[in-house]
Amino acid sequence: MRVIAITGKGGTGKTAVAGMLIKYLTSGSGTLLAIDADPDSNLPDVLGVKVEKTIGDMREFMLQERDSMPPGTNKETLLESKVYEVLAETPRYDLLVMGRPEGSGCYCFANNLLRGIMDRVLKNYDLTIIDTAAGLEHLSRRIIRDVNELLVVTDGSRRGLQTAERIRELAKSLNLNIGKMHVIANKITPENRMIVEEYARELEMDLVGSVPYDEILERYDLEGRPLMELPDDSKAFQGIKGIAGKMGL
Amino acid sequence: MTNEFPFEISPMFEGERVRKDDMFVELAGPKSRGFELVRAAGLDEIEDGRFNLTGPDLLSMQEGSRHPYAMIYRIAGKLVEPDLEAIVERRNHDFQNYIQGYMHLNQRYDIWVRISKDAVKKGLKSFEQIAKATMMLFKNELPFIEKIEASFITDPEEVEKQRADALKVYEARDARTKGLHDEDVDVFYGCTLCQSFAPTNVCVVTPDRISLCGAINWFDGRAAAKVDPEGPQFAIPKGEILDKVGGEYSGVNEKAASLSGGEFSRIKLHSFFEYPHTSCGCFEVVGFYIPEVDGIGWVDRDYSGSAPNGLAFSTMAGQTGGGKQIIGFLGVGVNYFRSPKFIQPDGGWDRVVWMPKNLKEKIKADIPAELLDKIPNEDEVGDLKTLRDYLEKKQHPITQRWAKEEAAPHAAPSEAVAQPAGAPLWSVPAGLPAIPQFGGGDGIKIVLKNAKITIERIILKGKEK
Repeated sequence: MRVIAITGKGGTGKTAVAGMLIKYLTSGSGTLLAIDADPDSNLPDVLGVKVEKTIGDMREFMLQERDSMPPGTNKETLLESKVYEVLAETPRYDLLVMGRPEGSGCYCFANNLLRGIMDRVLKNYDLTIIDTAAGLEHLSRRIIRDVNELLVVTDGSRRGLQTAERIRELAKSLNLNIGKMHVIANKITPENRMIVEEYARELEMDLVGSVPYDEILERYDLEGRPLMELPDDSKAFQGIKGIAGKMGL
Repeated sequence: MTNEFPFEISPMFEGERVRKDDMFVELAGPKSRGFELVRAAGLDEIEDGRFNLTGPDLLSMQEGSRHPYAMIYRIAGKLVEPDLEAIVERRNHDFQNYIQGYMHLNQRYDIWVRISKDAVKKGLKSFEQIAKATMMLFKNELPFIEKIEASFITDPEEVEKQRADALKVYEARDARTKGLHDEDVDVFYGCTLCQSFAPTNVCVVTPDRISLCGAINWFDGRAAAKVDPEGPQFAIPKGEILDKVGGEYSGVNEKAASLSGGEFSRIKLHSFFEYPHTSCGCFEVVGFYIPEVDGIGWVDRDYSGSAPNGLAFSTMAGQTGGGKQIIGFLGVGVNYFRSPKFIQPDGGWDRVVWMPKNLKEKIKADIPAELLDKIPNEDEVGDLKTLRDYLEKKQHPITQRWAKEEAAPHAAPSEAVAQPAGAPLWSVPAGLPAIPQFGGGDGIKIVLKNAKITIERIILKGKEK
């Protein structure tokens, strides 16, 4: 069981990186789970999977319906079943969308149930890839525990790397016990490659690899085409393959 | 565990998921129908180990297909009684999940089962093998079951027919469960989920009192404590009953003292004024004493306006929360309004004088019919003056309290309502029955810790006629 969370500043292409990594991993033999844990992202679109309901919807259902359920209902069993109901199953991997954030009520109990359920869900997969916002929500609340590696995506900008630095501090202060943190430089051109590498050295970040700027990827993004259909020989995908190899994926 | 079966049986397979692509068949679940049911029977009515299947067996089902599915167990034993049915039935989920390659989710009429291709490859041929393994586990783990037989159904029409009967059984069971009260159990449950921000909070969940957040009822406490007795929900043996009406128990008091770090040593579970339950901050509704009418108003989290006392939920929640016993305010879960012991020492529903429309609508069915139009909402009453007029006009039972107190205005010694620090002062118009009765006039205890009290002036006025 290996759990990798992908994060980074908005606009750096973190979801595209997650999507391409998932595309690459589906050619392997292990069981794979993708989790979209960023309410602003669109991992299902990038993967070309239609998801109707989210974990957030189900948690809300538990809150809305709790007083009308039969008094002896086992809520953990019920919520677990609801989580599996929203799990999108594709032939090569499964996808779970965390969805809407919490409302104003008290989510302590629902989240506590969810923690145990998510622990069990993750155990069923050899590998889990989580697309999460820079604020690391869901990780901070320990809804998803046991994240082994954090993969921070940055673009060629100094700000992207500064965000990476903040994420590293945040992960430390949240005591997330993340074993390793790598940085991926995305949208890299021959012009900015040197600068990014220099920044990374300054901040003592482990730059695991870079993904070249790719016109084909850009076009897919523009047209809203799923990245699962990206040609295998596209520059960006080749970059991802190299990184996956370095990470032992 | 045994080699009688072509699959392994072990608790380590709990939580094992059968993915769509690895699944041989899907049974019941959100896209089909089914149920599980346990019934008690007489010892001579059933034959131990018997299995009966109505409908196609596993191997005649097409790979990847979906079917309705029902499992009915009949159990017998000298100690078996109908009250045990629900408890035994819930174990079907546990035991069937011990079976490798068999996924069981949910309960009752919401069950969802998948059997893996791998299990079939290894020799699983028939539902009989599943039933035999489950029955074996039932008997091993629950020794009071002396005999057990199973009827499984995969025939769509038969599932529908039997399901209708099962629904009636569940319904009757729920009616019995709803009839469970504090006096019927020996154990309550505590919860410390809120102690992270309300360190002295003592949340006690009983059959007649849901947690303040509204999320945990007595059954949830029981289920969670059973899975992890050291977890955030745990058992509190009731101990001796000290005050039946107020709901005071020696076991709860002991636990309160240890959970609150010695802060609180007495809790009356159903009392508003005397040693009330602590309020965490998560509560769905806050009750507030209105001295001007000697009544209690309630305002829920979703109501953004002001209550007749001029305060919004957020303001009152801020004063009440943090795990303290605050006389004059009380946080509760919405479902507590449905409790037959709802603030019973303080007059119960007769003491309720205001509620926002939406909250009232939510619990309408549980408000005593004769009070329904006597408790005003924000459209009818927005301040204290109109509140008093409204209650008077509608002849709310609270007016009888006024009459009583006016008849003997100086009988009781003056008592004070302890107010949370920083609470806006209520101006109490003289002549109104402003004084709540604390447990029959034996006074209240006010403990001031590290208190700084500054009073700029106190004005005492004579009675206005």
